[in-house]
Amino acid sequence: MAPEVLVLGSNGFIGLHVVDALRAEGVEPRCGRRPRSNVLGLRSRKARMVPADLDDPASLDAAMQGVHTVVHLAGHYPRTSTDRPGTLALGERQSRAVIAAAHRARVSRLVYVSSTATVAPRRDGPSSEDDRFARPPAHGLYHDLKWTMESIFEAAADLDVRIALPAGCIGPGDLRLGTSALIVALARGDDPPHPDGIVSLVDPRDAAIGIARMALREAAPRRVILSQSSVPLHGLLVALSRRYGVREPCAPMSPRVAKALADDAERQAVASHSRPRMVREIVDLVVHGVPLRGDLAEQTLGLRYRPFSDSLSDFETWASRLGFFPTPPEARP
Amino acid sequence: MIAPATEARIYKILSDLSAVPQQQIKRGDRLREDLGLDSVSSMELVSMLSEEFSIDVELEEAVRITDVAGLLALAENRIGDA
Repeated sequence: MAPEVLVLGSNGFIGLHVVDALRAEGVEPRCGRRPRSNVLGLRSRKARMVPADLDDPASLDAAMQGVHTVVHLAGHYPRTSTDRPGTLALGERQSRAVIAAAHRARVSRLVYVSSTATVAPRRDGPSSEDDRFARPPAHGLYHDLKWTMESIFEAAADLDVRIALPAGCIGPGDLRLGTSALIVALARGDDPPHPDGIVSLVDPRDAAIGIARMALREAAPRRVILSQSSVPLHGLLVALSRRYGVREPCAPMSPRVAKALADDAERQAVASHSRPRMVREIVDLVVHGVPLRGDLAEQTLGLRYRPFSDSLSDFETWASRLGFFPTPPEARP
Repeated sequence: MIAPATEARIYKILSDLSAVPQQQIKRGDRLREDLGLDSVSSMELVSMLSEEFSIDVELEEAVRITDVAGLLALAENRIGDA
């Protein structure tokens, strides 16, 4: 009999793909949703929805009743890095609320979906699951928040916790245009300001398969990087500019300038209730990005990463359909 | 023609999400410029509408709704289909 699985954050970018991946493994998950969240994707999938608000312990208790495994993709994701104490406090409180509810409901396993921001660099090559910062890396609020939340889950007693570390996701379904914002800006003919550094990428459908298997396979490793490739950002943008037939992007900014510009853009965005042109979290991820090994997922979970070109094509097709892309790109590398 | 009671329910949802008083919302208002809803809130709005009236809305339809008139048109077309 398939275990009862609850997915927190099921209506998000990766979450919807996790729902699909669990179904492909024969599991019909309970899909946690907050009262006002966009559930169009869940409704079109005819998914089983249950109320689950990280700030409402009673809703978590009800959602976890009879659940064997919780997949937690709803960890706090700050839209800006402007409120450090508030962001860290919220992330910590919500993480502890999930663990406390899991204990009360006698949940057996919890897969916490963290970030590659918690993976530390190493001198002798790409980083692996063993490379974890011993303390908050102090690159910026996003890194410290992810480190703090992951540490809380790692320390959870009486709970079989697995940590998934997906790289930046490029693929269909990125409704908020997070990781793919630079690609869209470039394709539209903008010249997006950017720093340079290593970016690690994965197709969200592959990340979701990895996460689903971490939820279901008894022998899944405790910490798994989900990354198809690691490449220099500026080189990637230059290659994409040729693909889209637009002018090459400007030279990358220095880390110091990029951080200052992003901080300024975020302050203005907060004041005007708009979306910042540059996001500090993305700048930090790029500037401090390290090459990653994603092969443990292949070896232990049987994951087969699809080529990046396939992910990109599928993203472009999806984004064109929704009107995010100017026209479907015709050039292919 | 959309039923007045249905229209009132839609304006109530709009008001809850935008914090603009229900009486001040007009058919010609744009979601972003006039009601202050960003793209994320606009999607939440369509999602709330789909739940309120038990209608299925595709993402492609949802992202193309940019004003109150578009929202009312969607409701008018789809509630009749439901």
